[in-house]
Amino acid sequence: MAENKQNIENNPVTYSEVTETVLNMLHKPSFGWYIQLAICISLAILGGVCWSFQIRHGMGMSGLSHPIMWGVYITNFVFWVGIAHSGTLISAVLYLFRAKFRQPIYRLAEAMTVFAVMTAGLFPIIHVGRPWFAYWLMPYPNERALWPNFKSPLLWDVFAISTYFSVSTMFFIVGLIPDIASARDKAVSKFRKILYSITSLGWKGNHKQYKHYTAAYLLFAALATPLVISVHSVVSWDFAMSIVPGWHATIFPPYFVAGAIFSGVAMVITLVIPLRKIFKLERIITDTHFDAMCKLILLTSGIVTYAYATEFYVAWFSNNSFERFQFWFRPFGDFQLAFWGMTFCNCMAPLILWYKPFRTNLVVLFIMSIIINIGMWLERFNIIFTSLAREYSPAAWGGYNFSWVEIGLTIGAFGWFGMWMTLFIKFFPAIAIMEVKEVIEPPRRKEIEHH
Amino acid sequence: MKGTNIVKSVFTYIDDLMDAVKAIKEKGLDFTVYSPTYVEEVVEACDDKRSPVAIITFIGAASGLIFGFSLAILTSMDWPLRVGAKEIAAIPSFVVVGYECTILFGAIFTLNAILFFCKLPDLFRRPGYDPRFSDDKFGLIVGVENSNSEQVMELLKSFKPDEVEIKNGL
Repeated sequence: MAENKQNIENNPVTYSEVTETVLNMLHKPSFGWYIQLAICISLAILGGVCWSFQIRHGMGMSGLSHPIMWGVYITNFVFWVGIAHSGTLISAVLYLFRAKFRQPIYRLAEAMTVFAVMTAGLFPIIHVGRPWFAYWLMPYPNERALWPNFKSPLLWDVFAISTYFSVSTMFFIVGLIPDIASARDKAVSKFRKILYSITSLGWKGNHKQYKHYTAAYLLFAALATPLVISVHSVVSWDFAMSIVPGWHATIFPPYFVAGAIFSGVAMVITLVIPLRKIFKLERIITDTHFDAMCKLILLTSGIVTYAYATEFYVAWFSNNSFERFQFWFRPFGDFQLAFWGMTFCNCMAPLILWYKPFRTNLVVLFIMSIIINIGMWLERFNIIFTSLAREYSPAAWGGYNFSWVEIGLTIGAFGWFGMWMTLFIKFFPAIAIMEVKEVIEPPRRKEIEHH
Repeated sequence: MKGTNIVKSVFTYIDDLMDAVKAIKEKGLDFTVYSPTYVEEVVEACDDKRSPVAIITFIGAASGLIFGFSLAILTSMDWPLRVGAKEIAAIPSFVVVGYECTILFGAIFTLNAILFFCKLPDLFRRPGYDPRFSDDKFGLIVGVENSNSEQVMELLKSFKPDEVEIKNGL
């Protein structure tokens, strides 16, 4: 429809072109897609094998030992919850702010949220050692009349993460319904026709449905927005509510939230760049979108850097010898590589994004997004390990060695996450068709005749 | 939809559709508009009443708040055990549980409100629906009686739709 043409970020796109471009992603998978899926499943199986070893032989298979009883598993948990965060930020917070750059990228970010929380949620279950008792974390009536301790930040976390997963999944599915209806109307194969007919719930897109749908979607965004703030705040309280030096800090919640958005946006960039290239989405995901995401990275990198500096200042200003020692130990102690790696990846490397040509150079951006995520993993490692390794009594100090089981599970988590993402982009619209159309000016006869 | 027949019209241009909707509304006929995306001016022109979804969300959120605090307080009192030198029912410690339940229940109620008000799932009933409506066309479906079908079709034709047709039986 040539006359349908209008502007999306200074790039003329039509309604039908959006439908066609996005639904082209659902066509018969290429050989490369199968290879990618096979790699992801293999890695996930590797993780599963490692976990089964740990279940069979006990927690001694991990490197966890006194005094470091929170190790790679909790680092991975915090890392993946952080990755999940920017999905909700992009889908809910930017929706409330009416940021138009969110439309083409928010679906991928939301999918990333759901799958990243699914990944994050595995780690506390792996960490507790006896996963078959993990349901004890939930309050349920039982024959012993026992209830969990609601005063514990760990239980707050159970509620925060399960609520976050439930609400993110609902928000994700609700957003998908109209787009699955588009896929249903264009589906050729019988399997896909049935799949999309059922999963679209018979959505038709009439004015009555849109009236209630948009009102509800706005409310969903309003409900999900405080979750962005609350979930990582609650995760940070797992640490900050204790009296461990380096953890007991009031700056933790905003510091964690900013860090989560920082790493999550980087992960969105890591996922979007290859997808844009493979599926030829250049007319829908433009340089403007990358530029906007880079600005978000610069903002959150600045906040994270400020938080790092504040921690050191507060340790010095408190005149508390344990705090002071902890913040000397981080840059100059046994785990100094993690500290300097974190500082380089999170504070220094993103500074190149102040230079505009780098914000639209996809090779630079792709490398930068990976550097940032390495940095954010190191940040969690730095917080968790160093504080536990050097608590109050020197008699209780200790070190940590990774075991192959922990490394396998860490790699397996990437495979698990990648497997869901790979399946998702081939079976459901990875770009929000309805919402991308919403930012296109609808075709008007008067304008066409005027031209 | 009221009536025995429907008149289905397909539009490319939104201004033509808006003019047609205005004329149909003036006639007092029952109609439904389909569009490939949410267009505020279309939805407002068709139906100016506010959606009641927000009330349902509020009821859900309020019940979640009550549930969350009640769960934490009542279970703590069920097995009174002093932890961390706090009260048995230590309200500040229960804020997170109350807060998360508020959001969770609000979201669950909102989801159910969408299903209820949007009449989903609705897998088979599609009077006048056309697959092009989810792509790049706008649809205006008017419920009519046998006696005035032709008259409504002529009226709609005057707004330059891509096509108009009468379909028998609803």
